[in-house]
Amino acid sequence: MKITVELYGASRDFSAKSFIEINLANNSKIKDLRKELMKFIDNHHVGNKNFRELVKAAAFCSDKNEIIHDDYVISKEQKIAIIPPIGGG
Amino acid sequence: MIHCNILDVKKEKINISKAQKFIASSKCGASLFFMGTVRNENNNKKVTGITYDSHDGMVKKSFQEIYEEAKKKFKFETIVVFIEHAKGYVALGETSVLIAVACKHRKEVYEVSRFIIEEIKKRTPIWKKEHYEGKETEWLKGSPVVKQ
Repeated sequence: MKITVELYGASRDFSAKSFIEINLANNSKIKDLRKELMKFIDNHHVGNKNFRELVKAAAFCSDKNEIIHDDYVISKEQKIAIIPPIGGG
Repeated sequence: MIHCNILDVKKEKINISKAQKFIASSKCGASLFFMGTVRNENNNKKVTGITYDSHDGMVKKSFQEIYEEAKKKFKFETIVVFIEHAKGYVALGETSVLIAVACKHRKEVYEVSRFIIEEIKKRTPIWKKEHYEGKETEWLKGSPVVKQ
């Protein structure tokens, strides 16, 4: 299934678009999505430690504006936002 | 009572008179306005502006939650809150966030205003990209979001 990962903050530098598309097996978990994002970084931004650190530290947010934990099962194709460490205000 | 919003600065600027109108109440004897502005230096670099990015849905939800928590925590008779945060490029000296609070007494507005800005810093998904002299830019490192 296709997951659209919406990019925010420093993760916007992952792509020229505001999102990236990741293919996941059905009923994958957020931790699987994180692994696929690591692969994306390794393929598209070779050796970029900052991007890898960002993916490691990021939270994820469902299309219902809820923070979802690593064991959350992604049951359908959907948009998921990556939430890098925050620092607004 | 709360008003909260995230403003795209290309379309609308943060406006203190809007906040004044919203929090005005004959029940409240104290009003406090906190404004965050872009300052000219950070980490020994000369800052010319900041681009703010936000997850709008989560930001509004977070503002509402912080307000509800303030009501529970302080149990003051009246708490009126106005929060607006900028999104997009904000130049040096311009306002990035406005928090206006009205309560019955002055001690209360200080406590509520401080609580709100500290909680925004901790948990509201807003990111800052600083622009420096010489056109260099940098996303600021923040703190990981903790699930409430």
